[in-house]
Amino acid sequence: MIRRGAALAALAAVVAGLAAYPGFASGYGVRATLQIFMWIVLASSWNLISGLTGYVSFGHVAFFGAGAYTGAILVAKVGWPWLPAALAGGVAAVLLALVIGYPCLRLKGPYFAIALLGLNEVLRALVSYFEGLTGGGNGLSLPTLDATIPIYYAMGASAASVTLLTYVIITSRFGLRLMTIREDEVAAEAMGIDTARHKLYAFLLSAAGPGIVGALTARDQGYIEPISVFPLATTITMIVMVLLGGKGTVWGPVLGAVVLFVAQEVVWARYPYVHPLLFGAIIVAVVLLMPRGVLGLLQSRYRLPRTI
Amino acid sequence: MLTVNGIRDDLMATTVLEIERLTKRFGGVTAVDGVSLRLEAGRIYGLIGPNGSGKTTLFNCITGVERRDEGRVVFGGGRIDGLKPWEIAQKGIGRTFQLIRVFPELSALENLLVVTRDNLAAARERALELLRFVKLEELRDEYAGNLSYGQQKLLEFVRVLMREPTLILLDEPAAGVNRTLLNDLLDAVRHLRNQGRTVLLVEHDMKVVMGLCETVFVLDHGEKIAEGAPGVIQTDERVIEAYFGR
Repeated sequence: MIRRGAALAALAAVVAGLAAYPGFASGYGVRATLQIFMWIVLASSWNLISGLTGYVSFGHVAFFGAGAYTGAILVAKVGWPWLPAALAGGVAAVLLALVIGYPCLRLKGPYFAIALLGLNEVLRALVSYFEGLTGGGNGLSLPTLDATIPIYYAMGASAASVTLLTYVIITSRFGLRLMTIREDEVAAEAMGIDTARHKLYAFLLSAAGPGIVGALTARDQGYIEPISVFPLATTITMIVMVLLGGKGTVWGPVLGAVVLFVAQEVVWARYPYVHPLLFGAIIVAVVLLMPRGVLGLLQSRYRLPRTI
Repeated sequence: MLTVNGIRDDLMATTVLEIERLTKRFGGVTAVDGVSLRLEAGRIYGLIGPNGSGKTTLFNCITGVERRDEGRVVFGGGRIDGLKPWEIAQKGIGRTFQLIRVFPELSALENLLVVTRDNLAAARERALELLRFVKLEELRDEYAGNLSYGQQKLLEFVRVLMREPTLILLDEPAAGVNRTLLNDLLDAVRHLRNQGRTVLLVEHDMKVVMGLCETVFVLDHGEKIAEGAPGVIQTDERVIEAYFGR
């Protein structure tokens, strides 16, 4: 109880600190933190489908891109304010997940991963093709607006929401049922768990966050193009963050997002050529040395509760 | 035909599962060939036969893991062939697997909690009671994958009971289990029978089958070649032939 109180107090202090941060931070500090929030949303969302059910999505950036284009079009062509446009981005991503999830979640293992990889490429091609709406390969510019600080808060709220959602799911029997799909789908079904529906729910939940932060990113950057919002590298980064922090845990994706982002910033600024090398080295090290990630390792060694 | 006359209805009251001319083929191989059988409430049945005779395939067809090609399976008054495995499980058929299938990275307690949607406090109480029953209470927070083979087997067994199934299918419950544990397990199966549940078990250990089952079905090459009390089955010529050859 005392430890729980202390953890909550520490958490409240961190949240308060981050809320006050733009008041005294440099422009770079706000921008970097905003991006950390974005990565927390992306990594935690990927964790919801892939970390829990074991269905590895190699196209998760598709939801980010779908949200980015939805938001950007609503802002640039329809004149919506950015906040409702961001929510619409989330809705669009969830709808896309519904359409794609229904057939794709029947696929197992590598077939599911490849199908989603294909989805991302298809979306990128479609966006390039429908020039009238999306600007095609030339990209889409949004009206100039300095909203970095409001977007900082929106990103922060998104990160907090997805983390809270993950906490609620993982500490519930719904979360355990998702994990049984990862552990042994045949046994899960034999025990009366409707795995198809559970996978779909997890997939829909995992698409909302990337859709929202995609739209926020589009607004924040003021310009998007197909290659900037549908890069495979973004999916890979989400995956590495989750594997590093601990898949299937609440705080693993958060830890992975913060550590990897900070490491990338530091190394990228000083040694740009070493950057890809570092990235590859982290992947190899995690897979070989601690396939469950930092928190997964601690969890299995010290029998930590699922609230971690 | 099933509902027309009173006599049939009377039979239905005690019939738990009825399989009619069930056939399952894999390519050119007929794994289960026109098998019919009927299980009554509150009894323990054995399903035996040489390796590859179709026992596990029959289990899989009953539980929906495999889709039957012909025939019908009636459970609790309705057809269940064609239903999804989870629908069949929710109707009240529980099973274990020949090779243990616990959820390795869920704790022993979570393995049990996850299969029920009852109120959490009640589910927890029941899960702890079941863990106590198989002497795994101390290990409740251990990952199931870290338990010994025998412990995993017991965990899988009580996981089936969490849903309070009316029909329980056990695929080789005695394999790899030591004598003491086995006796506990057999007592548990009898206890389930006394509660009015029906148990159908596949087993190679003839001592177990003969000591536990009231009726035994014998499969050979996918066909049911005999059915009856264990003592009768043991002396049946076709059964002896199936096991030892002519």
